[in-house]
Amino acid sequence: MRVAIPVSRTSVVVAAAVLGLLAVAAVATLCLGRLGLAPADLLAALARGPADAKQAFVLERLRGPRLVVAVGTGAALGLAGALFQAVTRNPLASPDVIGLNSGAGAGAAFAVLMLPGVLPAPLGALAGAVAAMALVYVATGSGFRNPGRLVVAGIGVHAISSAFTQYVVYAVERDRAAALTAYVNGSLSARSWEHAATIWAVLLAVVPLVALLSRRLTAAELGDELAASLGARPQGTRVAAVGLSIVLSAGAVAVAGPVAFIALTAPQIARRMTRLPGPHLTLAALVGALLLVLADLAAQHAPIPGNLPVGIYTLAVGGLYLGYLLTREWKKGSL
Amino acid sequence: MSTPTGLSARGLTISYGDRTVVEDVDLDLPDGGLTMIIGPNGCGKSTLVKALARVLKPARGKVLLHGRDLWEYRAREAARHVALLPQNPIAPEGITVGALVGRGRFPHHTLLRQWSPQDEGAVAFALERTGLRDLAGAQAGLLSGGQRQRAWIAMVLAQQTGLLLLDEPTTFLDIAHQYELLELCRELHEDGRTVVAVLHDLNQAARFATHLVVMDAGRVVAQGPPAEVLTAELVSSVFGLACDIVPDPRAGTPMVVPHTRGRIGSPDIR
Repeated sequence: MRVAIPVSRTSVVVAAAVLGLLAVAAVATLCLGRLGLAPADLLAALARGPADAKQAFVLERLRGPRLVVAVGTGAALGLAGALFQAVTRNPLASPDVIGLNSGAGAGAAFAVLMLPGVLPAPLGALAGAVAAMALVYVATGSGFRNPGRLVVAGIGVHAISSAFTQYVVYAVERDRAAALTAYVNGSLSARSWEHAATIWAVLLAVVPLVALLSRRLTAAELGDELAASLGARPQGTRVAAVGLSIVLSAGAVAVAGPVAFIALTAPQIARRMTRLPGPHLTLAALVGALLLVLADLAAQHAPIPGNLPVGIYTLAVGGLYLGYLLTREWKKGSL
Repeated sequence: MSTPTGLSARGLTISYGDRTVVEDVDLDLPDGGLTMIIGPNGCGKSTLVKALARVLKPARGKVLLHGRDLWEYRAREAARHVALLPQNPIAPEGITVGALVGRGRFPHHTLLRQWSPQDEGAVAFALERTGLRDLAGAQAGLLSGGQRQRAWIAMVLAQQTGLLLLDEPTTFLDIAHQYELLELCRELHEDGRTVVAVLHDLNQAARFATHLVVMDAGRVVAQGPPAEVLTAELVSSVFGLACDIVPDPRAGTPMVVPHTRGRIGSPDIR
């Protein structure tokens, strides 16, 4: 993804480093634990197919799809956050802040608890996410053009969706409500190749459009007036970027539920890693993938009883790292 | 009506919602001239230059670029003819001066034609012209006010347009840097560009402009050579300031000497 300025060596080096870490985390996902493959077997199994039924089960049913879903979902969320933050010029904005995740939660709650058996949870979540974003679009009065109104309307929609979820959970019996909690936090357990195909299809469709948009996003960084005088049509760019960001997040919600914090932190971490200007789209996607795979590793292997859903860990991992970076900058006085 | 120049306006009206800010303006910016637009706060100067740069769409009337409606051009095509430096551009965090200037090359790029030797050349020329060659690698955020403003000028220069619009380029600069910037504007105009600047200081405008445009309440009330346009009556009626106009002792251009209260022979400030 090229921008108007030749890609700098720093960003290539940083991207390669993140990719390397991602590879290590991926190998760990497949090899750790009682069911993990021995690292030596992994290479052979990937090259020539699984040697036995246990390897086949782990690679093809248990951890393989889960890993592919985690990478795709993390990348989609990282990219969604980078797009959203670039056009709202707000480092604390992301689709989850304007109610996409809580809309998805409300949709899932409605599908699972009010209409059991009619609509599966992921489809309910998708419908909820789309409905929430439609509500935001209408409530701003100007579509996705004004970043300030977008955030204010989004916070309102977020509150409404959360209240709706609470109501639904209260309205049904307690044991049925418990089935929902894992989903509402975002989970990667028991993912299939269909989930993987879904999120990667979304990425495949959206990434070329993002690439087409990326140079205009770079111009948009200079402010609306300058971007307009450069011929970069900032309003249209903003609407397109927010739209693509929502499609990516909705795809992520459909396969993994509302995973918190990746969209918010990945672009921030990417920016601080390179210390360069520009929306770090590629790097944010890679960092998002790394964060989610790491969080999922923690979800699978942390010595905490009760198998917490991965969304809890993304909060912890991403939040701690962002907190560390913010404190560091605070101390240096650059914040 | 006269033949339109490179950039002109016909019956131009611009509104924000139902508030009309610029009304029925006819304007021909002289080709190769250094035009300065003056007028009291809120008279619509900034709005006018934004419309001339295709940033604001007219409610009625037209901006003509080489005789053709500016909005008939594709956005990027128009941006290869007209550049605007707005009042408050945003320098992205962590950007170097060279990279910032390179952002001006946006309208010259397409999907197939990305960064090229021509871009390098345009950036090098713009840095050289604004005296920033040695600061190309410096962080834009760490520049002094005067240097920063020159870096922004370099950015719009790298856009390589025949027309350059500057919205209050001297605001926030100390007096020495104001004149440094005005000299730069004059040099850019002497290079053959059509330069247009919104300015607050009447004496500076009169001294540097080849063509003066005076606005009041959204309309152009006078335009022409500073010596003909800038009269005591005009300053009184547009700015509500009683004054004498004397020749600038250095340049011979009209200079505004305001009357102040309490002196003999200067009875009123309206």
